[in-house]
Amino acid sequence: MKAVILAAGEGVRLRPFTSSRPKVMIPVANRPILEYVVQALVENGIRDIVMVVGYRRERIMSHFGDGSAYDARINYAMQEKQLGTAHALLAAKGMAGKEFLVLAGDNVVDARFVSDLIGVEDGSAISVAQSEMASKYGVVSLDGDKVTNIVEKPTSTQERVVSTGAYRLNSSVFELLEKEASRGVMSLTHVLGSNLRKLDMRAVRTSGKWMDVVYPWDLLKVNAAAMTWAGLSIEGTVEDDVILKGPVAIGAGSRIRSGSYVEGPVVIGQGCDIGPLVTIQPSTSIGDAVVVGPYTHIFESVIMGGASVGSHSHISHSVMDEGTSVGPGFMAAGTTANVRVENEFFGLKRIGTLVGESSVIGAGVTCVSGTIIGAESKIADHATIRGTLENRSIVI
Amino acid sequence: MCGIVGYTGPRDASEVLLSSLRRLEYRGYDSAGIAVIGEHLAIHKDKGELAVIEHSLPSMHGGIGIGHTRWATCGRPSQENAHPFTDCSGTIALVHNGIIENYAALKKGLLDRGHIFSSETDTEVIVHLVEERNSGDLREALVSALSDIKGTYAIVLAMEGSEKIVAARKENPLVIGVGVGENFVASDVTALLEYTSKVLYLMDGEVAEISPSKVTIFDASGQTVRRVPEMVTWTAEDAKKGGFAHFMLKEIFEQPEAIRNTLIGNVDRLEQDEGVLGEDVPAIKLVACGTSYHAGLVGKYVLEKLGKIPTTVELASEFRYSSDVREDPLVIVISQSGETADALAATREARRRGLHTLAITNVVGSTMTREAEETMYTRAGPEIGVAATKTYISQLVALYLTAMRIGHRRRTIDADTLRNMRTELTSLPQVVRRVLDNSESVMEACGMIAQSRDAFYLGRNISYPVMLEGALKLKEISYIHAEGYAAGELKHGPLALIGPDTPVVAACMRDHTYDKMIANLSEVKARDAPVIAIANEGDEEIEQVADKVIHIPEVQPLFSPFPLSVATQLIAYHVANLKGCSIDKPRNLAKSVTVE
Repeated sequence: MKAVILAAGEGVRLRPFTSSRPKVMIPVANRPILEYVVQALVENGIRDIVMVVGYRRERIMSHFGDGSAYDARINYAMQEKQLGTAHALLAAKGMAGKEFLVLAGDNVVDARFVSDLIGVEDGSAISVAQSEMASKYGVVSLDGDKVTNIVEKPTSTQERVVSTGAYRLNSSVFELLEKEASRGVMSLTHVLGSNLRKLDMRAVRTSGKWMDVVYPWDLLKVNAAAMTWAGLSIEGTVEDDVILKGPVAIGAGSRIRSGSYVEGPVVIGQGCDIGPLVTIQPSTSIGDAVVVGPYTHIFESVIMGGASVGSHSHISHSVMDEGTSVGPGFMAAGTTANVRVENEFFGLKRIGTLVGESSVIGAGVTCVSGTIIGAESKIADHATIRGTLENRSIVI
Repeated sequence: MCGIVGYTGPRDASEVLLSSLRRLEYRGYDSAGIAVIGEHLAIHKDKGELAVIEHSLPSMHGGIGIGHTRWATCGRPSQENAHPFTDCSGTIALVHNGIIENYAALKKGLLDRGHIFSSETDTEVIVHLVEERNSGDLREALVSALSDIKGTYAIVLAMEGSEKIVAARKENPLVIGVGVGENFVASDVTALLEYTSKVLYLMDGEVAEISPSKVTIFDASGQTVRRVPEMVTWTAEDAKKGGFAHFMLKEIFEQPEAIRNTLIGNVDRLEQDEGVLGEDVPAIKLVACGTSYHAGLVGKYVLEKLGKIPTTVELASEFRYSSDVREDPLVIVISQSGETADALAATREARRRGLHTLAITNVVGSTMTREAEETMYTRAGPEIGVAATKTYISQLVALYLTAMRIGHRRRTIDADTLRNMRTELTSLPQVVRRVLDNSESVMEACGMIAQSRDAFYLGRNISYPVMLEGALKLKEISYIHAEGYAAGELKHGPLALIGPDTPVVAACMRDHTYDKMIANLSEVKARDAPVIAIANEGDEEIEQVADKVIHIPEVQPLFSPFPLSVATQLIAYHVANLKGCSIDKPRNLAKSVTVE
């Protein structure tokens, strides 16, 4: 059986972290989300993979190549305009074979999630799970394991059975997709929902891992949940008088300087320079080639590759995208805040600051909880920032 | 990347092996070889293309064999270093992908115990270890040998008098092809598809015993593993370039990774004072050919700026004709392959003059790494396109790191500046990505170059050598005659050639040279030459003197060669593509020039 992974979307709600990458390439515990999906498939012996790519597709293609590094064979289908998931799947027409799985490339899943779906006897199937965020997904009505109805993104606040966006389908679906596309229906949930009888679709409750990053702060939760290894794994240099507690992974060529205190789960990439006297607490991931200056404290945060953080800074419940540079004395504490994304408001219990890639933040900058700084922004020394700044903002 | 194949069955093994290896050719290699067991074990291997090996193939009959295509990572490309290797008795043959980290220590022990080595590779130690542990069961011997080995591997072994081949895997792909009365093994499914689509993937730590009628897999504790073969549904023709139209474009897009890898591999030595970079030398001489020479020209600006050390750059082919004026420089030789004949000759000449030498190369264990006193690796990964792109950008990173290290040691930059430079370097992958994101709009600017016979590339300051390289890229793959010039030299000759048929590509970075560049471009414009300006984002003034503007991110002026280089690579690529040229294999050119 083949698999089609839908990986073309931008992930608008995750801005600024999608300013130069598709949502599927956002790192979780230092690996792109899409890599978890590929690995889950390969562990189930599904190695023939079609990735539907579109937005910033070169990021995906140059990372996965022909798939041989993953014991897989990856072919790419281009979706030039991201009109919807049904339209995306249609791009894989002729490449998917007779029976295939369809997975969302932007959800962290495990092997069990995939095997549950494969385990169904012949026929179409949809993978479902309980969710409190029903309004973000398609809500599935069931009669036994038979799907009787799918309602896309209802205004419900109750816990409901929702579609995880993973399906088992056969090639006859392409005919439906084409027919519906000609009427302007571009969402896969809609197409399947209005053709349930024809498809004889069953639901499979997944017992595996399924984590979705819908809003930027979900990244912190999913990042923490993905750090499941145990024990120490140290390839870099740990200087004398460094304390490492719990599961800590340190990549080759990284140096943790004297007097630092690292409490896992923490993952640190390759070629980093951390310390001296830095404190890193759970659950934090630090990408490759990151520099963290002395006396800085980082807690429950994601610092992506190539970022640098000056001395005497405090960063908690925050995300710093690739190549961001932060001067000394940066304050980004995580407390309660109201945050707006698109036109929705969220009351969050613990949220620090979210910084888009390649932003440059001066010395002594304080960010009020819930601040979002767009990519490639420049913030002058000693500024106090709150609210949401667009990409390429300049604060003097 | 290296390729492995193996066969046991009724067919003529040499035919199966060569045909399977051909399927892996696209991954790139510099030497190849096969071992076939008929009555005795016979080996045929050489440097160069498979076709060469096939052409000189002696008659090798037998139904058991292993084969390999090698991309040098430890030891230069040569017949001796090509796989397969045999033990001292010549009855066990082995091929290997991966790296044996503790091979030096193992080799010493083996030499002390009387083993005779025929190569400089890390691989050869494995076959001698197997020989020592061998009491008739090849698998047991391999398992015992592997317990002493630190590193990564995919290994396939065959032994005279046995119809079994033995395979082991750790962090390098290996897959077994299941046939009827015959079985196969390969590093990539692609190699097997001509014969079978039924495969068994080997997992890390597992060892397999493969005979014509049976495949047995053992886990790390020696227990047999039951595994049902999988069916491969794809064909051999898929995927090779991972979605990109050409290897060159793929490699251009791999540059953010290449930059990061060079950085990761070398950055921890930034504050170290030992080695040749710790020597107190009065000057530096950079020696290289082609694209590497251009990297050296950029390096000169950086070394002089950060290290405050007089730096000269010489073509490797001319260095030998220079007089030894006793300036006692540290000689840094730059070569992607580490095998460039002229660069090797220059390294030897430098040593003959009693100078300290440092090699910057992409190939671990290449000849140059043994000729030079010390080596810095660029770690850009294999580059298949003949026109260097990602290996060039990683040479720049290596030179910047060198300059920073020298500056730190000579106290010409303070700790704060060093840190600042480091931050600038680590954010380069994003900067380069932003240029790549603009690839489509670069293409729009290329139409006017594609139609011309000649083009000029102009730059000042550190942009000047970058434009020399930009012109070389255009020449190499689009066959358009291109000249790189320092913009200040325009009036000293080339202006006479400029007219409506000679497009001018100009680097106009927003630094202290900006106004002068604008003045130069006005002169060009006055002669009706089409102008393509590469300028910083947000620069609108430039549109008054340019017909087309390619915007790149603004970085500290010293680091502008990175985004600028990538923009010129994209220009060369798109022009060649518009002209329909053979981008990955331009006429008359070879990837590494190993003759003088």
